[in-house]
Amino acid sequence: MTARQRDITLCLLFSGLAALLPLVSDVRYTVTQTTFFFIWATVVVQWNLVFGIGGIFSLAQMALFAIGAYTTAMLGYYFGTSMILAMPIGALLAVLFSVALGLACLKLRGPYVALLTLCVAQVLYLTIVNDTDCFTNPPSGCMPLMGGVRGFSRFGDLGFRELLGSGFYVGRYYVGLAILTVAMIVSIIVIRSPMGLAFQALRDNPVYAAARGMDRFKYQLWIFGLSAFFTGLAGSFYAVNTGAVGPVVFSFSHLLFLLSMIIVGGVGTIWGPIVGALLLMFAEEAMRELGDMRDIGMGLILVVCVVLMPRGIVGLFEDLVRWRTARTAQAVPLPRRETV
Amino acid sequence: MSASISPPLLSCRNVTKQFGSLVAIDDLSFDLPAGEILGIGGPNGAGKTTLFEVISGHNTATSGQILLEGRDVTRCSPVQMCHAGMARVFQLNTGFDSLSVRDNVRVAAYYGRRNRVVPGISMEPAVEEAVDAALRDVGLAGSDDCLTATLPVLDRKLLMLASALVMKPRLLLLDEPVGGLTHKEIDHVAEIVRRVAATGVTVLLIEHVMRFLVQLSTRVLILHHGRKLYEGPAAGLANDRDVVDVYLGKGAGEYVAALTAGDAQHVG
Repeated sequence: MTARQRDITLCLLFSGLAALLPLVSDVRYTVTQTTFFFIWATVVVQWNLVFGIGGIFSLAQMALFAIGAYTTAMLGYYFGTSMILAMPIGALLAVLFSVALGLACLKLRGPYVALLTLCVAQVLYLTIVNDTDCFTNPPSGCMPLMGGVRGFSRFGDLGFRELLGSGFYVGRYYVGLAILTVAMIVSIIVIRSPMGLAFQALRDNPVYAAARGMDRFKYQLWIFGLSAFFTGLAGSFYAVNTGAVGPVVFSFSHLLFLLSMIIVGGVGTIWGPIVGALLLMFAEEAMRELGDMRDIGMGLILVVCVVLMPRGIVGLFEDLVRWRTARTAQAVPLPRRETV
Repeated sequence: MSASISPPLLSCRNVTKQFGSLVAIDDLSFDLPAGEILGIGGPNGAGKTTLFEVISGHNTATSGQILLEGRDVTRCSPVQMCHAGMARVFQLNTGFDSLSVRDNVRVAAYYGRRNRVVPGISMEPAVEEAVDAALRDVGLAGSDDCLTATLPVLDRKLLMLASALVMKPRLLLLDEPVGGLTHKEIDHVAEIVRRVAATGVTVLLIEHVMRFLVQLSTRVLILHHGRKLYEGPAAGLANDRDVVDVYLGKGAGEYVAALTAGDAQHVG
C-alpha cells in the first residue's frame, strides 16, 4: 500500500467514525458544533496547501471563504437560486478570485504576500461595511447591495427542515462531513502527487526548482486555484448552515484562530491542520466558561506549541518516527556505496 | 555557413554581462562541440558562475548571443533551457531540503525532461525506473528515504548530480562539483562524470580543484576579469605565463605540469 492509499484509507475510516456521532449522541449542541468543526477544518486543510505545502504566506483564505458565503447568500436573496446550485457557484467564484490574486502575488515573497492578501481582504470588508446606499428596500429595512453591516439572512437552505423535521441539523452535519472528507482526500492526493512535489520543491528552493523544469508562475496559479475551491465551498456551506452571513466572517481574530490550528497541528503536514483544528476547538470549548481568560488560554497553548514543537504535533510525531527508523537502521548497517 | 556542417552544441558569441558598471563577462566567445568536456577555471570573481547563470537562463546576457545547436536561446527562461536538454548543477549544496533523497530525484525526473502542461496524479513507472537508475549511477541507492537536509556534503553533491542526470541532459553544467571534498571523494565524482561523458553527454564544468579539472577536461578555458585568458588543452596550462601569473601561481603551476605529464602517459 502506498502512502497515498494509506492516508486516503485512514481518512475514510475517520469519516466513517465521524458519521456515527449523530447516531450515538442526541445532544444537538455537540452535533452542530462538530458541523462547525467540519467547516473550519475544511478551510485549514486547504489553507495548508498554500501556506504549508506551497510555502506561500497568503492570508486571503478568509476572504475566499467570505466570497463563497456572500455569493451563496446573495444568489439566494436576490434571485431565489436554490442553495444546491448557489454553493458550487460561490466556490467557483472564489477560485476565479484566488487565481487573480495568485497572479498579483507572483513577484512577491514572504511577508509581502501576507500584506497584499490581507489588504485585499480588508478592502473587501470595508467595501461591504461602508456601503450604506439602499439597493433594495424590503419591509425589514434598507438593504445595501452586499448587505452592509447587517449582512444577509433568510436566503434559503438545503431543505433538510422539510425532509427531517426537527432533526434537520443532522442533515447539515452529513453535508459538512462530506465536504471535509472530499476536501481532505483532494488535499492528500495533491500533496502525494507530482504536483504536490512541485509545490514543495518551489517552496524549498525556487531557483533550483526552475533549473529542474518547474515553472513558478504555473504552479502558483494551480495552488491558488485548487485551494480556493473547497475554501469557497466551505464558505458557501457556512452561509447555508448558519442561515446568516455578515461581515463578521472577515474578522481578524478568527483568521488568527484558524492560522493557529495549522501551526499547532503542523504546518505542511497532511494531518496537521485537522489535528490542530480538533485540538483548538476542543480547547475553546473547554474554556468556554472562562470569559476573557479564554483568549489568554488559547494564546498560552499556541506559545507552548510553538516553543516545544516548532513543527507542530504531527511534525513532532514524524520526527520521532524518522528518528526511530534511523536508529534501527544504524543498529543494522546496510552495505551501501561500494565505490567509495 | 553551409547547412551540412552541424553547429556546435553550445556556442557563446560576444557574450557580455554587466551589473551596473561592473562588467562580469566581457565579450566572451567560445564553442563547445558535442561530446567534449570543457573545463572552466580562473580566479575568484572571474565571472565563471555568472557565465553559468547566463547560459542556464537564470540571468540574461546584456549583449551577445547564446546558441544551443544553432538555436538562439539567449532569452530563454531556466525552465525552457532545462527542457531544451541542459542540466545545471549548482555551486552550493543546493537541494530540496524538506524532501527525501528519492523525491528530489523524482521531481527532477518528472518535470525536468519535458514541459508538463497539466501535471498528473501519479508518476509513470518509467519515471520511477529512471530514478532508480540515477540513484544507482551516483551510488546513492539505499538512501532513498533520507531527508536531504541531513545529508553529508558528498551525498548532497551526488544527489545534485543524480537529479541532473535523471533529466537525460545533452549538456551538463557542473559548478564546482567537488569543492570541499576529500581526495577519495573527488575520484568518486570524477569517475561518475567520466562515465556520463562516455555516454555522449557534453560537459561544461567549473572547478578550482586542478586535479579534477586537468584530468577530466578535453579542453580548458581560463577566465580572468570576464575575459578569456587561456583556451586550449590542459597540458598547455603550466606553460602559459599568464595563467601561472594570474591564477595558478608557481607552486600550483608545477603541480599542474606534473599532473598533465602524468595524464599524458595515461591517455597516451
